[in-house]
Amino acid sequence: MSGEAPRASRKGAGHHALQALLLLAFGSLLFYVTRAVPEVNGGLWMISAIGFLLLAGTLLSELLAPLGLPHLTGYLLAGIVSGPYVLRLVDEHTVKSMSPVNTLALALIALAGGAELDLTTLRKGARSLGWAMLTQCLLVFVLVTGAFMAVRSLIPFARDLPLGPLFGVAALWGALAVTRSPAATLAILSQTRAQGPLTSFTLGFVMASDIVVVLLVATVLGFVRPLIDTSATFSAEGFKNLAHGLFGSVAIGTTLGLFIAAYLKLVNKQMLVMLLGLGFGVSTVLDYLQFDALLTFMVAGFIVRNLSAQGHKFIQYIEQTGTVVYVVFFATAGADLDVPLLKELLPVALLMAASRGLITYGASRLAGRMAGDPPALRRWAWSGLVSQAGLALGLSVVVAREFPSIGTPFRALALATVALNEMVGPVLFKLALDRTGETSRVQAPSFASIGTPTTPE
Amino acid sequence: MNAVLLLMGLLVLSYLGSFLFRGRATTGAGLPSGVEYVALGFLFGPHVLDLVGGDMLASFEPVVQVALGWLAFAVGLDFGYAGEKRVRVGSLMLGTLGAVVTGGAVAAATWCAVRALHLGISPRQQVLLAGGVGAACSETTRHAVRWVVERQNARGPLAERLNEVAHADDLLPLLAVAVLFALEPTPDVVVPLALRDWPAITVGIGLLIGGGASLLMRNDLKLDETWAVLFGVTLLAIGATARLALSTLTVSFFLGMAMAALSKHGPELRRMVAPTERPVLLPALVLAGAHIDFQSSPKLGLVAAAAIGARLLAKLVLGWVLAAASPSARKAGGLIGVSLMSSGALAISIGLAFALRFPGQVGDTVLVIAALSALFGEFVGPLQLRRSLEIVGEIDRAPVTGRAQRPHNLGAT
Repeated sequence: MSGEAPRASRKGAGHHALQALLLLAFGSLLFYVTRAVPEVNGGLWMISAIGFLLLAGTLLSELLAPLGLPHLTGYLLAGIVSGPYVLRLVDEHTVKSMSPVNTLALALIALAGGAELDLTTLRKGARSLGWAMLTQCLLVFVLVTGAFMAVRSLIPFARDLPLGPLFGVAALWGALAVTRSPAATLAILSQTRAQGPLTSFTLGFVMASDIVVVLLVATVLGFVRPLIDTSATFSAEGFKNLAHGLFGSVAIGTTLGLFIAAYLKLVNKQMLVMLLGLGFGVSTVLDYLQFDALLTFMVAGFIVRNLSAQGHKFIQYIEQTGTVVYVVFFATAGADLDVPLLKELLPVALLMAASRGLITYGASRLAGRMAGDPPALRRWAWSGLVSQAGLALGLSVVVAREFPSIGTPFRALALATVALNEMVGPVLFKLALDRTGETSRVQAPSFASIGTPTTPE
Repeated sequence: MNAVLLLMGLLVLSYLGSFLFRGRATTGAGLPSGVEYVALGFLFGPHVLDLVGGDMLASFEPVVQVALGWLAFAVGLDFGYAGEKRVRVGSLMLGTLGAVVTGGAVAAATWCAVRALHLGISPRQQVLLAGGVGAACSETTRHAVRWVVERQNARGPLAERLNEVAHADDLLPLLAVAVLFALEPTPDVVVPLALRDWPAITVGIGLLIGGGASLLMRNDLKLDETWAVLFGVTLLAIGATARLALSTLTVSFFLGMAMAALSKHGPELRRMVAPTERPVLLPALVLAGAHIDFQSSPKLGLVAAAAIGARLLAKLVLGWVLAAASPSARKAGGLIGVSLMSSGALAISIGLAFALRFPGQVGDTVLVIAALSALFGEFVGPLQLRRSLEIVGEIDRAPVTGRAQRPHNLGAT
């Protein structure tokens, strides 16, 4: 909030009224066009959808800023309102066809995430991170599994399950609860330009937990399969594939990181086009090899930051793409949100999200005490761990595919719960950064200050 | 070739293209019209090597529309400016007159040729074809004059005047495209509107969105937010007009023009957008080349010859008008108009827009003639321009050694 104060004061009510009017005007134009030409080639429609989401996300985030809400909330709301369940400015088919754009956005977000991880800072906070990892992964997994079993009578698809399969499904839910959202964390940090112990801790934890989550999920999937599907047996094949995927991702990520570092050192030009090429090209190769794109790009960013002298240069380039990437990513996520489903499952989803939030809070307090963290971190460390997004949704898709008997309702509940966490989590994290004074007062480079030719190279 | 490979190829081209542009000046190899990239696309396209098939081209239509729209947006932002300086009223009038005379002459010649050769198309299609060829052949590429001037280190009143004229002749062809697109509304539009309203809507959408974006930029936006707004408004304008089957080129051009005129940050916007032009242009030219089909129309050669002949004649007439108005042009001799024969990015963009909007004989013929006209202009335009500038003493006859210095008087965009 503090970081927003100087800008907010410059931008008075008149400016916000103008922004609201323009948002309405742009929305009306698109509304008219969608009604004038109801049937159209999906590819063409995607162009105006991305354009409108970019505009609406940017404007709505500015309009919500005086309330202390993070920009990300504005992006999500823009997507929800213009999406297929509210104004239908962006239809379902268009949202689906935007997946290549999202893949690219995710690649850039992961690169940024890895590049933000500073080895020296991580080493300093290793004790905190270690305890947090232990409690947030194990304790949250065990307690959320328990909570799911405890409230099974309220969950339609779990109500009549025998104990064995019920435990299996609950364990899957527990694994899902351990996932966090690197993208949401980075979006908030990109907006607030925060610095301090809470920032370093959250960044380090969320990025590192990605690897732990992948391992945990594979383990849980392997163990619960015979419980849910009585015809299946335990197989170590999944672990072999997992090890293959993890090592492969790290190897490709390292190579990519070294390549980027060499490019920055030797050429250091047209980085945007280079990043676009790498984002699309490497994502396609990773998809073919079935490696983890998030992990690969994160490792690449980490290598550039920590094993070369090009880290700061790289971060500057990545930051220039900031708003565009985050708006597209989260506004699309908002548009993809199944609002009717969320409405239908709201009571249960609220219960599940609240229980996860409480357990995360408790685990965080415990970890903070064990690690001897400073009071501010002890108090607020949990706030950055509530957000969930793509990783959790990806896991729910895997569960739906692997266990068709419970897949559809499980995924629906996961979607609803993740939606709540996706909306509440960023607000909590920004609040914590503002309260701990880590939100930066230094302004990002302004457009009007351009004195020399500038482009997001 | 699969879609990812094609996309990667286009990105590589874009990457190479970005190296041909430093700050506000063109550098490195390449022709002013970029026609060599059209040839490359033609070679890869379905009619020669078939590395990029017809289905693939169709699936890349959104990419093409965005690229064309962005280019037109950049042209609109730059319209009426040569570098940081506003184009003089005389040059603006001369540029506009040149576009009217050239476009009109080419359209008339094409229409006569089409009628005389009995191509078997309806009267409305004849108008569309003739109008499209006229619009595509009416402009002189902004890059041509700059290309010669920068390579030859030219400076002087004639170079300046020609540069300004080349920066001031894009308005009418793009208006013509809006009118022509409106002649055949898509059946998908369920809202009934009179024919005359569509061009006004095209221009109106561009101006309104551009005005709105300028208002948004009144306050200091962060740099990345500015990019978000720029991408947002252009994509919204392009997508909305593409859906209505209107001219995305025209709407983007007026969007850029409105922003340049209404935003207090016009110079900064031009500085931001100018370096993106070349990286977007090269992939667009390659895709345009891949769309070229020389079998699209019987007697295509004769129609093209009529159009290009009329263009040459019109430019000669324009040269005489220029000579009458400007003493330095008078000194350059009677062929000064041929210096303005170069066409390029905008002409081929118009051709490609027609090929996408009117697939078949009409669209394909417009694209082919736009490309042929650019190729012909490439042979005669820069050569004559250099000669004219030498005659008036604005280029040293001694060979230029090392890298040519950029002249300050052109500013070059």
